[in-house]
Amino acid sequence: MSSIILEARDVRYRYPRGREAITGISFHVRRGEKIALVGPNGAGKSTLLQMFNGMIRPDSGVMLFDNEEIRYDTRSLRQVRRRVGFLLQNPDRQIIAPTVYQDVAFGPVNLGYDEAAVKEAVAVALRQVGLEGFERRPPHHLSGGEKKRVAIAGVLAMDPDVLVFDEPTTGLDPSGSEDLMELLDELNHDGKTIIISTHDVELAYPWADRVILLADGRIIREDVPDVAFGNPTYVRMAHLSIPVLLELSVELEKRGFTIPERKPRSVLDMVHIIEHQHSHGHCCHSAPGTITICNVDMIPDGTIPAWVQERPGIAVGAMGTRAKQCAATEQIALEFTYGVIDKCILRALRGKDSLILTTGNMVGRVSERVEAYGKESGNTIRVVNLNTANQPPVTGLTNEEMKKDDPSY
Amino acid sequence: MFEELLEDVAQNNGLREVNTTVKLAVGLGAIVLCLLSTSYLSPLFIALVLSAAILLLARIDIKTYAELFLVPLWFAFLSAIVIVLISGGEHIFWSWNPLSFLSLSITRESINTGFFIFCRVIGGMSALLFIALTTPMTDLFAVMRKACVPDFVIDLAMIIYRTIFILMDQVRQIYHAQVMRLGYSTWRESITTFASMCGAAFIASWDEGDDLIRAMDARCYDGKFALMGESRPAGFRSVAALCLFIASGSAAVYVSQGMTLL
Repeated sequence: MSSIILEARDVRYRYPRGREAITGISFHVRRGEKIALVGPNGAGKSTLLQMFNGMIRPDSGVMLFDNEEIRYDTRSLRQVRRRVGFLLQNPDRQIIAPTVYQDVAFGPVNLGYDEAAVKEAVAVALRQVGLEGFERRPPHHLSGGEKKRVAIAGVLAMDPDVLVFDEPTTGLDPSGSEDLMELLDELNHDGKTIIISTHDVELAYPWADRVILLADGRIIREDVPDVAFGNPTYVRMAHLSIPVLLELSVELEKRGFTIPERKPRSVLDMVHIIEHQHSHGHCCHSAPGTITICNVDMIPDGTIPAWVQERPGIAVGAMGTRAKQCAATEQIALEFTYGVIDKCILRALRGKDSLILTTGNMVGRVSERVEAYGKESGNTIRVVNLNTANQPPVTGLTNEEMKKDDPSY
Repeated sequence: MFEELLEDVAQNNGLREVNTTVKLAVGLGAIVLCLLSTSYLSPLFIALVLSAAILLLARIDIKTYAELFLVPLWFAFLSAIVIVLISGGEHIFWSWNPLSFLSLSITRESINTGFFIFCRVIGGMSALLFIALTTPMTDLFAVMRKACVPDFVIDLAMIIYRTIFILMDQVRQIYHAQVMRLGYSTWRESITTFASMCGAAFIASWDEGDDLIRAMDARCYDGKFALMGESRPAGFRSVAALCLFIASGSAAVYVSQGMTLL
């Protein structure tokens, strides 16, 4: 188990002349975890989050960062705030400077980086959130999702260990929310600890490693998502609802389906359970399709459209903003833009092929995820990397299904 | 009530990516040339060139440009008429003495002066609009730093710039909410409604200020503000265009020395 990075010990806080917002909370967060703080409006989520970077000082109890008590003098606070990046709910409140570049550079400049280092930090941060080329744009010309990304980039430029998001998806459209959650996953994959507050159970359920249910300033339950959300009493106490997938699996279990120990957290898991029941362990299709991954940064222009053209019926999905931008410039029609890996696995199970456009270290993640699924379900799905496929891609990427369908074989 | 802002037009103009100093040199050079000229021809020449640049190179919508130009033009036109009537001269075309101390006359000299000043206004206007329409405020901050404007002034200017848009957005929302509930239906009503909007906007901006300080604190504010330096080199073409413009403008000033309308 990794080390504890944030810890609260019996913290209490009362707003001036107000009611007690936090009434004795203790918990800890480990390095690299994805935590969702879930509760209704006014449960004290925002107040609690603001204690993580010292914006609010608890009346009693202690907050620890990296096993050291947070001190509230200017120097120590700066140190904590550098390492705990905080994102406000409304990005307009977070964006200070008149251009994107200046705003992202705000943190690094104040930390005393020299000019070259500031430029580098800004470039890296903008690249991470997929906003290259936006440097000179003023914030009021950006869309809600873009503003959110600028705010995230501003925090990432300081290279924090922990990222705290207050209601990250409010004000975003569904596809924007999915994009953002994917970005959070990507950041988590890069080693950042992520804490979000939300009251969207459907969003928190598949995403979080651990859920903290909060109501009336205290913790009701702290557990893995299927346990925390699975108990109707807790859920009712926290004014929430049970995630649809969880409710469905409970109902299926009552009807005699075998539900594995780990509750289904995605449509893919659910489909697996149902198919398993039907075919008694055998996959419905003889040969699963192939998933091809392509790193768009490392492939010459024009290769992908030509490759896709040669394979009618292949579905293309894009993960990450850069991959989506690439698809737009290369005029590739995207079938999947979120939850791409799961959807491609689902497709592969039906014997269909798909191509995933992505960037950087996400390539490894796709194979990891597919492999993990294969181990769990007993199906083997072939994953091919388009960039490293030495043979001409036509022979390198055929599968049984294509041979059968195509009379030229 | 809320039209498109000049700043928004400037952010999307066709000359956005040209070096800021070159654009400023064109505009300021044009103003100096207009002031140096002694004839009505060179300001008109400058206005023609700059208007062509604004419409064709910066691709500003002709309607927007005409609207921006016409307002001060009316003012200039009225001023020119006053000048024509008040200033005297030798070749009198018409005169009238309504009062002992006031004499109105139209003379050849007064028409020449009036028209000259009117043309100068046109020239100067086009130069100012050229700067305003091609150089967004965000680019000017870096120039201000180069021009040795104190840092705190620039920082304040930047924060004001940012908050203006947030505040405007809030005012817009409040205004719409009021209109939807018939806030401006009568004259009396509109005064109260407007006052309550001002109050709400003041409170909103106060809140905004608190939030701004917190946001800056959360991001380790230490009295420093990043500036985006000029990363676009003054390309050969833009510098050549600048030189050509200044040279032809100077030539126009020199050749048209002392030329008058009548």
